[in-house]
Amino acid sequence: MATGIRRHRTLFTVVALAVLAGSVVAATPVAVQAAETPRRGGVLLAVIGADPPSLDPHQESTFANIQMVAPLYSTLLQIDPYNYPKVIGDAATEWKISPDRLTYTFKIRQDIKFHDGSPLTAADVKATYDKIVFPPQGTRSIRKIHYTAVERIEAPDPGTVVFKLKFPSASLLDNLASPWNVIFPKKYLDKDPNYFMKNVVGSGPFKFKNYTRGATFEGERNPDYFIKDRPYLNGYKFFVSTETSVRAAAIRSGRAYIEFRDLPNSEVEAIKKQLGDKVVVQETSQVGQFGVAMQNTVKPFTDIRVRRALTLGFDRYTGGKVLYQLTGLRDVGGLMRPGTEWAMPQAQLEKIPGFWRDAEKSRAEAKRLLTEAGYPNGFKTVMKNRNIRLPYQDLAVYVIQEWRKIGIEVENRPLETAAWFSDGRDTGNFELFLQPTVEFMDDPDQFLNRYTTGAPANYGRFSDPALDDLFSRQARTVDPVERRKLVIDLQKRVLEQVYYMPGLWWTRRVVHLAKVKNYVAPPSHYTNQKLQDVWLAED
Amino acid sequence: MRTYILKRLLLIVPTLFGAAAVVFVIMRVIPGDVALLILGGDSGQVDQKQLTAVRQQLGLDQPLPVQFGTWLWGVLRFDFGTSLWTGQPVIEELLIRLPLSLELALLATLVSVLISIPFGMIAAVRQDTWVDYLIRVISIGGLAIPSFWVGILCILFLVIYFGWGPPLEYTPPWVDPWANFSQMVWPVVTVGYRYAAVTTRMTRSTVLEVLREDYIRTAWAKGLRERVVVIRHALKNAMLPVITLIGTEFAFLIGGLVVTETVFTLNGVGRFVVDAVAHRDYPVVQALVFLIAFGFVIVNLLVDLTYAWFDPRIRYR
Amino acid sequence: MATTTLTHVRASVPLAPRLTIGQEVVKFIRVKPLGAAGALIILAMMVVGAFSEVLAPYDPYHADYGLQFARPSVDHWFGTDEFGRDLMSRIIYGARIALFVGFTASFAGCTLGALLGVVSAYAGGRVDLFLERLMDILLAFPQLILALAIASILGPAVQNVVIAISIPIIPRAARVVRSTALSVKENVYVEAVQALGASRRRIVLQHIVPNVTAPYIIMLTAQLGGAILAEAALSYLGLGSAEPTPSWGLMLSGSALSYAEKAPWIAVFPGIAISLGVFGFNLFGDSLRDALDPKLRKG
Repeated sequence: MATGIRRHRTLFTVVALAVLAGSVVAATPVAVQAAETPRRGGVLLAVIGADPPSLDPHQESTFANIQMVAPLYSTLLQIDPYNYPKVIGDAATEWKISPDRLTYTFKIRQDIKFHDGSPLTAADVKATYDKIVFPPQGTRSIRKIHYTAVERIEAPDPGTVVFKLKFPSASLLDNLASPWNVIFPKKYLDKDPNYFMKNVVGSGPFKFKNYTRGATFEGERNPDYFIKDRPYLNGYKFFVSTETSVRAAAIRSGRAYIEFRDLPNSEVEAIKKQLGDKVVVQETSQVGQFGVAMQNTVKPFTDIRVRRALTLGFDRYTGGKVLYQLTGLRDVGGLMRPGTEWAMPQAQLEKIPGFWRDAEKSRAEAKRLLTEAGYPNGFKTVMKNRNIRLPYQDLAVYVIQEWRKIGIEVENRPLETAAWFSDGRDTGNFELFLQPTVEFMDDPDQFLNRYTTGAPANYGRFSDPALDDLFSRQARTVDPVERRKLVIDLQKRVLEQVYYMPGLWWTRRVVHLAKVKNYVAPPSHYTNQKLQDVWLAED
Repeated sequence: MRTYILKRLLLIVPTLFGAAAVVFVIMRVIPGDVALLILGGDSGQVDQKQLTAVRQQLGLDQPLPVQFGTWLWGVLRFDFGTSLWTGQPVIEELLIRLPLSLELALLATLVSVLISIPFGMIAAVRQDTWVDYLIRVISIGGLAIPSFWVGILCILFLVIYFGWGPPLEYTPPWVDPWANFSQMVWPVVTVGYRYAAVTTRMTRSTVLEVLREDYIRTAWAKGLRERVVVIRHALKNAMLPVITLIGTEFAFLIGGLVVTETVFTLNGVGRFVVDAVAHRDYPVVQALVFLIAFGFVIVNLLVDLTYAWFDPRIRYR
Repeated sequence: MATTTLTHVRASVPLAPRLTIGQEVVKFIRVKPLGAAGALIILAMMVVGAFSEVLAPYDPYHADYGLQFARPSVDHWFGTDEFGRDLMSRIIYGARIALFVGFTASFAGCTLGALLGVVSAYAGGRVDLFLERLMDILLAFPQLILALAIASILGPAVQNVVIAISIPIIPRAARVVRSTALSVKENVYVEAVQALGASRRRIVLQHIVPNVTAPYIIMLTAQLGGAILAEAALSYLGLGSAEPTPSWGLMLSGSALSYAEKAPWIAVFPGIAISLGVFGFNLFGDSLRDALDPKLRKG
């Protein structure tokens, strides 16, 4: 035997190396599908359920905007498409954080060109972030509050951008990786900060081709993209169709290849049944939850016993089972996504009223509390809601049914979008309303900001100095272990005081034809939309 | 006759004016501020200063009559303003969607008229026979079935049994007739079926009425072949109410368009109106409703003129 | 010469022997079987709507979570919906809503419209012109669009749907009634009667109203079906009744198609209920029109 190996030593070495190489390849993340070489060409056809109000991601927060527009732009940093939530560079190649954590220095690639031919420099990055962090009059920046730590932004030379902070911010780097922070060319921003609401000049893997509202959005390959030989696709095209079943039918019939946001379970099952292994379903839990906000300044919700009764009356565990089939709402958790480092441990959660496993016990306690608060026969109230079936209306039906069991009669009042904002949510003109919390990343700043006094998203108008203190401390705590403790304490307080009632956490099912390769669905439908590495196995 | 025409033409103006005013007022009364919508977004932060600025930009801070006046002045120059939601001129947005809706409306009307008049006549001529009953039952059934349900069943049937999905984009018939046909055929059926049922019933009942008229009996007594009698006399006089019906049903057709375009997600004018109302996109709603009213008024005028032409009592006034 | 009575103008037709109600009904069934069938459907619907509590096996809001999407079975004749609610019970209670909206909206719309139509036709002159303009303006809006806009203002609720649906009916009823009233007014008989000095009120009451009654009733029964359909359409579009109200149209909205493969009964039964109900009203209305139109009475 030994003779044999010695004789074929070269062969043996080669084989050993091959095995070694093979196992390294096998261990590499999903993205590198070793067996398949990406094919060039083809246009990715997608269906989407809505039109965006404008094309400027800084000013929007709807998936309709980011999914259509993300492939056309670059960002400073991005979340690794194949490794959520790792932050990697896009326009930035490397970065340094000063020891006192008050200075962030980024090196910008020098080979990026905008679609109009001009080079992307640090000046453009600075102008972009000035717009985001210090929006000029007449422009809005939805996520401005996540950058309160930033004092100023500098561009000392075309290849360097520096962020100077007022205080250390644990979440800043993650927030800089936001898919919404696309880089705009400075010269257009100088003329009109709202220019990009209707126009597109980006530096992304695709160039803007055409947009017909209510119908289609098209992008075509950018031949001068700074990552050579990307993108693989010749272009992409979104078809707008507000009816869920029509979108599902489009995928079934092959007229569209992918739906990026979510399809209800029943449609997914039907598609799987029909297309078998010609279709791929990617399911993950999602970075978002739906719950019920209570107007804390209005009777009877001023009384903590009433608030507690409401949360006790909501059987979340059964709700998860029932609603999962209909809407994707499934997981019971606190104010941070279950399964992440920021989530409250299940054992701790189950001790809090509203999260007990025993539904009967919870309801009995709820009725007792109501009687004690002066409502032995329950009371009537109104819940305002958005007039969209999934998941708003379905969650409302479930929750209303639950509260009937403890004697609270809730009238469901769906409002369409315009009325929803002006006659409900933003004016505080509601008793109860169904509130979604959906972000692009499991970031405590993003999720918990709304529980502080006066926060724009604090629709329930509650104010608790303990919460404010916990929040600002966790925002500045860089040590993850310390920070985690503070985050959990914050959640505990909100849940025990029942300022807000979290409902259920969302899941996401992305359905696409098997020929769409190299797309991995992250937990957020806002990220990984650049389509840079996606390819089609056939046209 | 001429004075009649003139009178009718002149009357259009106040009607349209009134319609425009009604729309204008309704849109302002509905709760919901488009400025808030534009600024609000999903995780809204409302800055009062920004709100005022946007409202100023959109001209919403002017008193109502001024806004109305400005708008009217624009309409006279074919300028319907800019969509508050998309920022594009309303005319452009409209022109993109008009071909589809127009095609749907025209095809549905044509198909239903072609079907309904012969069937209605047959039912009237063979009154109370099984033919009559069958036609009546089918046409009444058609009226009874909600059009969106027909649309739902169409999609259901096609998707489940044939794995077929409609084309997602509108292609005009002169570009690709087959693609156009495959996208439009089911919506046309969905809209047209109802419409045909209405017209069949009306045709039948008016032909029945006419068949009882004395002068028809006289003509019959003269010994002309029954068919000639029916076609020449009954048809001519039954056309009157049927034409009137086509005019009045045109409005109903628009409603059918709205629902059908929603079910089949077609990018047409009907769905555009619903979206615009939801977004408080005043310029779009005003323009669309005004134009629909305008079209409808014109159609009605034509119908009335035809009616007047055929009715000697008015013609020789 | 004293006022001449006009009795001699009334046609003297040998009167048929008076029948009892029962005999009238039997005659109607024999002569107009379709209409009788329609009446039966309407009656059935009214019974179901009135006695929902007794007839429905389950509470229409009660959700049985273990039994979502259950097939039709002995326990649930029409199966259950996505929440495990018994579909048959929801359809039974839905009849109540459909009938309420249908009757109220079409009655209100037709009556108001008929009033306006008669006034307009008979008063003539400027009143007629003004009312005609007003009706024209309202008629310039397609029914559903007007209802849509009104429903948007008022918000989704059953009473608002009634208002939203009845308003477009008014001008349509007015138009029909007005044209009939006009033709009566210009009828030779009436001109003769006027020449003989009969009072306006008498003409209206004795000649116009009786002749207008037929089209009014026909319009009413015709609009009934339409009103039920309109409620369904508005609920489908999300502007009518809100969840968890058991409105037939609401049951058909959006998700019915999504669940259609898994549970086709969700998309099928409410649609059948709507169609059957409207069908009944239309059949009955159709035959009623035939029966009421004096020119069409046989013999």
